[in-house]
Amino acid sequence: MVLLPLVIVIINSFTNYDLYKTHDFVGLNNYKTLLADPLFKKALGNTLIYTALYLIPSMVLGLLLALLLSGENRGVAIFRTGFYLPYIISMVCASTIWMWMFDPAAGFLNQALTALGIPPSIWLKDPKLAMLCVVFVSLWKNLGYCMLINLSGIKAIPGYLYEAAEIDGANSFKQFCHITVPMLQPTTFFLFITTCISSFNVFEQVNVLTNGGPMNTTTTIVHQIYIRGFGEFKMGYASAISVVLLLIVSVITLINLKYGNQGLDTDIG
Amino acid sequence: MKIQKKRKKIFILICTTVLLLLVLMPFFLMLLTSLKTMPEIMSPKFKVFPEKWLFSNYADAMKRGNWPRYMGNTLFVTGTTVIISLIINSLAGYSFARISFRGRNVLFFFALIGMMVPAQVTMIPVFIILKNFPLVGGNSILGAGGTGFINTYAGLILPYIAGPFGVFLCRQFYMNFPASLDDAAKMDGCSRFTAYLRIYFPLSKPILATLAVLKATQTWNDYMWPLIMINKEDMMTAQVAVVTKFTSEMSIQWNLLMAATAIIISPLFVLFLFTQKYFVEGIVTTGIKG
Repeated sequence: MVLLPLVIVIINSFTNYDLYKTHDFVGLNNYKTLLADPLFKKALGNTLIYTALYLIPSMVLGLLLALLLSGENRGVAIFRTGFYLPYIISMVCASTIWMWMFDPAAGFLNQALTALGIPPSIWLKDPKLAMLCVVFVSLWKNLGYCMLINLSGIKAIPGYLYEAAEIDGANSFKQFCHITVPMLQPTTFFLFITTCISSFNVFEQVNVLTNGGPMNTTTTIVHQIYIRGFGEFKMGYASAISVVLLLIVSVITLINLKYGNQGLDTDIG
Repeated sequence: MKIQKKRKKIFILICTTVLLLLVLMPFFLMLLTSLKTMPEIMSPKFKVFPEKWLFSNYADAMKRGNWPRYMGNTLFVTGTTVIISLIINSLAGYSFARISFRGRNVLFFFALIGMMVPAQVTMIPVFIILKNFPLVGGNSILGAGGTGFINTYAGLILPYIAGPFGVFLCRQFYMNFPASLDDAAKMDGCSRFTAYLRIYFPLSKPILATLAVLKATQTWNDYMWPLIMINKEDMMTAQVAVVTKFTSEMSIQWNLLMAATAIIISPLFVLFLFTQKYFVEGIVTTGIKG
């Protein structure tokens, strides 16, 4: 049952299925078109840009927040809840809120910038800024998740390590470098893998915020699958893109299985 | 030394407070904007609070299309998904953990593979399967001719409950139960199923609560799948409706859009406030990413 969709997507990637009549075997044609398709190359590049821009800030900020909020008292718990709130809402709601924030005329950002005397921007409609804005929305929404995963990693570090370090005269920066960072390595690796996979699958925020525009600067792999498959009904071609995505995700998963030293408990994201 | 430590603490407190306010600011702005008039929103002079608190925006937003219906759809799909997947996942998790049968490990391995393949990769094939499902929605026995599960609740719910993730979670949980529990039950004359019903099920409240909360948020928040599966007005879920009803026009009614967004978010916030423990546990123990 689990393998059936995979088999179907691979078979269909060699056909010209359009959901209605034609369902002929076309060999490698879809893949040939794919290699020559400028839009697919653009989408692949955009997805890489998104991953690169999103990966490091989300991991660094998540770790910093977790460090700040690793205390035990009640006040800290309230802070944690606050930072976690954006993560529980849907990507659609996060996108609609930021759609307004980014709006050139009515949006909060431009009104605030004008009030401060800084020239406003057109944000999502600017080909240079659009992808950055999309990354920012994802970052805002998922920061709580990165914080929580890091927190659980920090909590698992035995306290006597820090006590020993204190006796040896290590200051808190040294403690961070020589205890927290190395002990947190499995958590960081896990976050790296899940973030990579989810970045390659980015779709909802793109579809709501920009619909791939302006000038295709934000279209991504999954957005292309959606457009080709459900906009143009080229199921065969969309399947071929899905197979490429499957290959990318498989490679990341294999890296995880090979180098991930956590148990299966947390290996799956 | 002591003063220095105190200073450091205050510094951290100020930093986190400012950060937190920045992170939560969009929510406050959303609420305030949802109560303003359109000319007020469009005016270049920004005011934090609305001149007149226009609560009627919420009623107006809900009149854009059939919102009671959209919310009802979402609620029904979420509720059904949670209930069915809890029953299936807990039973299957128990079987994988406690009953040894032929091919169990192979089957479990496939379940793990299924968990690693993202929904975005399988969205095309799952759609094709559901559209060409035999004898449903006017389809022939070969699955041709009709629309299959398109525009049906089943078409939304089936892929949601099919995920092997819950099975995995329950299995891990039941693995930790001592085997002597089963022996004792056997001695008392319990069958496998009664043992599950009388012993395992009552003890699995924490894992089921965690799973229910995770499933409910995921289903309520999902956008991609209803976007593909539903093209009829009265079958839309709230997430799809908020995008199609408010953002597709040239001049967006921001106040109504923010009101609708607030309404969709609010059930989740309420759920979160009451079940925070399970939310956090679910994320930490599984690392699942919504």
